Amino acid sequence: MEQEEIQGKIFEYMQQMKGKKKLKEKDIIKKISADTGEEKDTVKKALRAMIDVGKLMYSYGGGASSVEIPSEEYLKEKGLI
Amino acid sequence: MSGKYKTPLLDELEKGPWPSFVTEIKKAAQSSSMPQMADDELGQLEKSYSTRLGYWKHGGIVGVLGYGGGVIGRYSSLPDEFPGIAHFHTVRLNQPSGFFYTAEALRMVCDIWDKYGSGLTNLHGSTGDLVLLGTTTENLEPLFAEYSSRGWDLGGSGSAMRTPSCCVGMARCEWANIDAMDICNTMTQHFQDELHRPAFPYKFKIKVSGCACDCVAAIARADLSIIGTWKDNIQIDQAEVKKYADAGMDIQAEIVDMCPTSCMSYDNGEIKINDAQCARCMHCISKMTKALKPGKEKGATILVGSKAPIVVGSLLSWVIVPFIECKPPYDELKDLTEKIIEWWDDNAKPRERIGELIEAKGMRPFLEAIGVPPQPQQVKEPRKDPFFFWAESDFKK
Repeated sequence: MEQEEIQGKIFEYMQQMKGKKKLKEKDIIKKISADTGEEKDTVKKALRAMIDVGKLMYSYGGGASSVEIPSEEYLKEKGLI
Repeated sequence: MSGKYKTPLLDELEKGPWPSFVTEIKKAAQSSSMPQMADDELGQLEKSYSTRLGYWKHGGIVGVLGYGGGVIGRYSSLPDEFPGIAHFHTVRLNQPSGFFYTAEALRMVCDIWDKYGSGLTNLHGSTGDLVLLGTTTENLEPLFAEYSSRGWDLGGSGSAMRTPSCCVGMARCEWANIDAMDICNTMTQHFQDELHRPAFPYKFKIKVSGCACDCVAAIARADLSIIGTWKDNIQIDQAEVKKYADAGMDIQAEIVDMCPTSCMSYDNGEIKINDAQCARCMHCISKMTKALKPGKEKGATILVGSKAPIVVGSLLSWVIVPFIECKPPYDELKDLTEKIIEWWDDNAKPRERIGELIEAKGMRPFLEAIGVPPQPQQVKEPRKDPFFFWAESDFKK
């Protein structure tokens, strides 16, 4: 599976889970790896690439870190829109 | 002094012979490029002192692009009253092993910090990072760009590997049984991804001490404590023992009676040690530096699980591997660390440290998962046996 396709699956999953559960990086990797049959490392690379360009972002709350879809405010702050 | 706020309660803390944090904050209000930060910090703190309430919030979404750690969001809950500290984020810089800097390097850190931050630092946090106190969200990217272009990187924060730290080791200590600084640097380089990209259930700290004197408090503050030790016998120079006695040291009371495993005796002016019973605690060696030295077969003890009392109570680290040869490239240590993290990551609830997980699940599955056999040195409390769960049939006799 191409990286772009994996990233599409990741984003779709993130949209489904938005507001329901704070996902840590490993949760996403496990889920997408199980769904697509891709190696965890491949999914991890696809996820990291999304974080590097601001399609996803790290967040922190309640003492723990998670991955989220960035807000418009965040994208503006980073000069991405 | 800046004089924006009257601070009679804080001013009390400038009295006396010692350096005062209040004086330093007042100085920052004059020297930093953002003097309103230190000014408003003083104003809010004075208010806290008078109302006995805190006005800080932390957390949220703050950091540099691609990194999940290194910046800790900090905000005033009174931004209208104290706009200078509406954002007052903490930045962690990865410190060099053993906290060695040139004066020039420190000047560089401070010059950049004066440009983008409050000018305040408490230098080193408890994890070990170089800690810079107070900057705004919009300054984070340019600040990071400037530090990273000069060879600095952010440290760890959040649910990630925290910046490993170590004692000064062989760089200036005769008791270093391992090269603590090299191990710390190697682990920092090896776990860069885990340090900058939080993927764990919670924080994971590595600390390296060259000996059991444990100058970085690895046994109390690290999920993975690497502590230098030795396998053979303590080296004794009986002539020097005599000199200590001649100089007035009460060897029986100060050394022998203080030995936690009672493995020593002092007869006819000579110290004798039953090394098989020695716990390598360093008490005798650190008291009689000229007479006693660690053995020659050196390595490290690996312990797991200590933590400060956030979430549940504090824990001390627990011996997992009594002796491991710690030699470059430290592959055995890296592999063991990866196995420990993998088991924890697979089994822990959010915000559960590895020490808590071992207490919840038991030592047996942990040891099985990391491939380390049960050994007597792992028994933490003599009157409990943490490795065996008795079946009904065991009691029938």
